[in-house]
Amino acid sequence: MTIVVTDLTVRYGEKVVLNDISLDIASEKWTCLVGPNGAGKTTFLKVLLGMAPYSGSIKDHGIEVFNNHKRNVAFVPQHPQIPQGMTVAEYVMLGRSKREGWGNESLTSRSYVHRVLQETHLFGMQGNLVSHLSGGEMQRALIARALAQEPELILLDEPTSALDLHHQISVLNNIELLKEEGVTIISTMHDITLAAMFAERIVIMKEGKVLLSGASHDVIHSPELRSAFDNRIDVHTLDTGRPVIVASKAEPR
Amino acid sequence: MSTEPGAIAKIWNWRITAFCALILLAVTIAAVSFGPISINFFKVFKTLFDLPGGSTGQDRTVILQLRLPRVILGALVGSALATSGAVYQTVFHNPLADPYLLGAASGAGLGATIALTSTNHNLYGALPIFAFLGGVLAVFTSFIISGKFFADPNSLLLSGIAVGSFATAIQTYLQQRHSAALRPVYSWILGDLTSASWSVVAWSSIYIAIALIILFSVAKQLDGLMLSDEEAYSLGINPKRLRIIAVAAATLATATAVSASGLIGFVGIVVPHLVRGLTHRVTNRSLITIAMAGAAFLVVADLGARTLLSPAELPIGVITAFVGAPFFLVVLRNRRRVSQ
Repeated sequence: MTIVVTDLTVRYGEKVVLNDISLDIASEKWTCLVGPNGAGKTTFLKVLLGMAPYSGSIKDHGIEVFNNHKRNVAFVPQHPQIPQGMTVAEYVMLGRSKREGWGNESLTSRSYVHRVLQETHLFGMQGNLVSHLSGGEMQRALIARALAQEPELILLDEPTSALDLHHQISVLNNIELLKEEGVTIISTMHDITLAAMFAERIVIMKEGKVLLSGASHDVIHSPELRSAFDNRIDVHTLDTGRPVIVASKAEPR
Repeated sequence: MSTEPGAIAKIWNWRITAFCALILLAVTIAAVSFGPISINFFKVFKTLFDLPGGSTGQDRTVILQLRLPRVILGALVGSALATSGAVYQTVFHNPLADPYLLGAASGAGLGATIALTSTNHNLYGALPIFAFLGGVLAVFTSFIISGKFFADPNSLLLSGIAVGSFATAIQTYLQQRHSAALRPVYSWILGDLTSASWSVVAWSSIYIAIALIILFSVAKQLDGLMLSDEEAYSLGINPKRLRIIAVAAATLATATAVSASGLIGFVGIVVPHLVRGLTHRVTNRSLITIAMAGAAFLVVADLGARTLLSPAELPIGVITAFVGAPFFLVVLRNRRRVSQ
């Protein structure tokens, strides 16, 4: 286990955002946090990053994560701050700062960024301004920056929201590149079908609590999944064996 | 630019910085040469670097005691304002931010007005101290009012505007009550470098140097503040601490510049955009270059202020605004085009 979460509680003033969560997160696997809006998924990512205070404990390789700058964790937000006037190359190069120090432009770094741009199909666009990128390109630029960081752990907040289906798959394939390099991936996603398709482990959250967690296949087919979504979902299995989860029409009362 | 195969080109090229340093040196010597008495460019060069064949007698006094301190003060103020402007633009994610944004200008204005309208004429000499304290106090108040000390740059911006308006209101009231002080207050607001002497250069250079050294030393990390706090943190920065350091140092530079030379507008906006626009790079590694470009810009503007209506002087703020305002509009226009 890389990350061991014990009795984690986070409050914003009076409001309890995360409520007594205990969870083990496997290393070198893709874990996906799934749940409705307001379930506390984004807050969970922020405390895993080590930036937000919490009570309880989150240990990454045995060390408490809060304010621990030694870890190399990449963060891909849902709504990034897009720097005006910055080129794609500059943007992706920022990812090297954690490893090489700020403003260092060694040949190794520049070669690495070159490779990452090719892997994320952004090569040729390195001189474009990030503020001019389309939604899908911006998401790829964010992932390219995370790849350039060579992180041990990457946290992605809704990496596919606001993307069309084609771009969703292309971005998710880019994230899988990280897994091949032995990176632990934790993402939030509200599309449970896509989560089941890419992630090995799924954590179902609701109102600040973890309702269900385990291997994707087990979670998808567990009877508790339906009750977690107020019995408003149906799980179908395609001929290929792949599960598809759809919202079901509310039953008349 | 270096283009090794299989690697992207370097983001920042230090040759641009060296080029800017040469321009600064050239305009400095030119500014010392020109004036009511024109002195040969090469003679000035030799006098400045104490080489044989330099000027003697009256020319030497004009060069070393009148023009040189003024040119150096212009360079100091220009570099302080341009660097602070660039830093504020980064910290507040706002390309139109200028060094006077957080109430530094209005606070200093109020401080200066208090000194100028005072019945105790000894306070006249203390004007720079009053202006400095006013500026620093206004920014500090903005910090306090914005609450949570930098949790959110936008709330700081808004409280800065509120504090600024408040200080301006008091300043206007004082001006109305003491109409005799209208003229000196007005000329101070437009900014001028006529008060330059070696003693002014001495104290202002200390504060500006401290502020600039701090800013240059964190310049590379400042690029991280262009991202969201979580992204900056994941790249190894403490965004809140870095913002406080950057704004405090930029405010020190601005308050010093204002107290030495009054309110010289537009340098803080024009120069960073000029350097970033010409190099097509927003990275704060250009901060040293921006500082030198700011110095050169103000030295040239002051040369214009001294010579265009010679022997009368134009307020330097008129020159910088004359160049700056149209430029500002071009920036706005391009920004709108980009966002469309």
